[in-house]
Amino acid sequence: MAQTTAAQNPAQGSELTPAQRGVDASKDLAAPGWKPLFLDEHQNETLIVLSDLIIPATDTPGAKEALVNRYIDLVLAADTHENQKAFLNNLGYLDGESIRRYKAAFRYLSREDQDDLLHALAYPNGGSEWTGEPLNDPGHMHFEQLKTRIGFAYYSSQIGTRELGWDGNFTHGVYQGCNHPEGNHK
Amino acid sequence: MTWNTIEQDPLQQTYDAVVVGSGATGGWAAKQLAEAGLKVVLLEAGRAVSPTEFTEHTPAYQLKYRDHSPEIARTRPIQKQCYACMEYNYEWFVNDLENPYSTPPDKPFTWQRLRVLGGRSLVWGRQSYRLSDNDFKAAGRDGYDVDWPISYADLAPYYDIVEKYVGITGAAEGNEMLPDGQFLPPMKMSCGEVLLRDRVKAKFGRTVTIGRAAVLTQNHNGRLACHYCGPCERGCRTFSYFSSPFTTVADAQNSGNCTLITNAVVSHVNMDNATNKANGVTYVDRLTRQVKEVRGKSVILCAQALESTRILLNSSTREYPRGLANSSGALGHYLMDHVVGGGASGHLPDMKVRPDANEPQRPNGIYVPRFRNTPSSKKHSQFIRGYGYQGEGSAEFNFSAEGYGTSFKGAVKEGVYSIGLGAFGESLARWDNYIEIDSSLKDAWGIPALRIVMSHGDNEAALMDDAAAQAAEMLEAAGAKDIKVQAHVEVPGMAIHELGTARMGNDPKKFVLNAFNQTHDVKNLFVMDGASFVSSACQNPTLTMMAITVRACTHLTDRFKKGEV
Repeated sequence: MAQTTAAQNPAQGSELTPAQRGVDASKDLAAPGWKPLFLDEHQNETLIVLSDLIIPATDTPGAKEALVNRYIDLVLAADTHENQKAFLNNLGYLDGESIRRYKAAFRYLSREDQDDLLHALAYPNGGSEWTGEPLNDPGHMHFEQLKTRIGFAYYSSQIGTRELGWDGNFTHGVYQGCNHPEGNHK
Repeated sequence: MTWNTIEQDPLQQTYDAVVVGSGATGGWAAKQLAEAGLKVVLLEAGRAVSPTEFTEHTPAYQLKYRDHSPEIARTRPIQKQCYACMEYNYEWFVNDLENPYSTPPDKPFTWQRLRVLGGRSLVWGRQSYRLSDNDFKAAGRDGYDVDWPISYADLAPYYDIVEKYVGITGAAEGNEMLPDGQFLPPMKMSCGEVLLRDRVKAKFGRTVTIGRAAVLTQNHNGRLACHYCGPCERGCRTFSYFSSPFTTVADAQNSGNCTLITNAVVSHVNMDNATNKANGVTYVDRLTRQVKEVRGKSVILCAQALESTRILLNSSTREYPRGLANSSGALGHYLMDHVVGGGASGHLPDMKVRPDANEPQRPNGIYVPRFRNTPSSKKHSQFIRGYGYQGEGSAEFNFSAEGYGTSFKGAVKEGVYSIGLGAFGESLARWDNYIEIDSSLKDAWGIPALRIVMSHGDNEAALMDDAAAQAAEMLEAAGAKDIKVQAHVEVPGMAIHELGTARMGNDPKKFVLNAFNQTHDVKNLFVMDGASFVSSACQNPTLTMMAITVRACTHLTDRFKKGEV
């Protein structure tokens, strides 16, 4: 059968998504002269420091190099007022705790103090897997919400995709599934 | 623009058949009728589609917002509830601002649809299951509502035709609730799925099978086998999953007997009141807003269940004041959509398989056929009918690993082995679930819009409760840990399996269509899509819709040959 006969009368450009038009936006965030659209300078710098602590450079690049802050800023600029406010609350909590405990905003702390604070937020006391007592720690909640955004921004970037090991190809043969002998899936 | 300024289409001729809608069923109607020698005009409300706009090989990082585009939130707040509506392809889905509908405040309904050549066949989930006489004759067994006017034996030959053409991958199981079909070789199960299958069979005697899907596992009918890139819903440059534009619609056009008109938003069926016959349809050109008319000796609605019925409701005449072909009063009633929201998921810590970003992506899952209220099981005390599950088990990157820093980065790649089952339950046909015209609401083309009134009932809730508990037990039997159970009832429409509103049956006083999808009232008017379903069963319905369409077209072609139309 001729599979292209249905393709007469191609769509007007305005009825295609940018992706369907072939737009590649992957280099946009790296444009020279980039400025945040939503975050102020302090918030942006704080986000850079925080994101690179959560996903640091190892033998592969970290969040800072993946421009995680710039992606988050882009999404926030177009987001609802409610989501914008929630994010600023998350970031504000971090600075608030930092000032309360160390008398300085998070980005100005020593690396050691930043690590202490993040550790306290990431692994709070209270809650128990044994008793089922719920974990209800506001600091942990703010931390997890920031981490979720940072994680998505990193792993959806080109750097993050490479970090996960993707070779850039879309075909890798036929799905093989389980080839183990009966009952043995080790 | 008013309804009265009808401009005659310069290309006007009288076709044998006017087919409205080019999706899974409209494509089949056009193909069957055109190849039988009838002169067909196929009307599609949206634009044509080209393989050049497929984005299945576009990485997410090339999207400006990486699937968080504000344009989707602005123009498709309802459509984006469908997982397949993404920054890649959202233009295929209707613009919610142009396509309104209303619901009572306490009865939300989510209506997800496409207006483009091929309709939802471009983005469908591809799962393809036969119904059995346990479904067609369910009322005879449990006393609820009515049986279908057709039996499995009536439909089986047409399931064969559709499956052989479409190409359905699957495994024969000999299961009493899920008849086997004409299968291409099955896809493989993952380790976790094999484990679940074996443990569930041993402990419960239940079947877990690989999904039956309209995806090619070998070259078939001029189309190439699947290359396992994953996201079918963005299009497929090898046409390996079934979508109508590149199969049935192309065949219809190649027959030389089918004229395709895109951007034709059909508003109503036109009647010759003297002869009580339909003589065509009126449509609004989507781009120019001009009103045009197409004439035909028969009219076949394949516009999607709610849209086909909307057209009939908008086609009232003096003879049919409550909607065309609605002397029964049943038009619009018995709306169904599979109930979803029950299931469970967990981890298989014993599976020492790490996630692999370069593993071929299987566009299919596993399936658990209905095991409640079967001929060989005892009657359940809490509910009638039943549910089936779709599921999947695979190693996944652990983006929700705890902590931060180097250890977090490592834990993400270490991954976690997830397994889950989600139920699709039968939605009982009820008079109280219905659609009607909202006299105060019109779409962007001035066509009166729908008011949808639907809620799931106690039986559906009981199905989801049981589905959640049974899923958890089956996962536990497979050794799953951290099991999370979901036992809620999703908003109707969420399964995107809308059915009913022009049900078939033998009694013209109670049913809109006869057993060949012909309206009882108007002999040359047909509805060949999910609107005709009498009950929803719990299997994904598209395969059955296509088989019913082919059966109805065979009947219509015979009548044309005998000069009865």
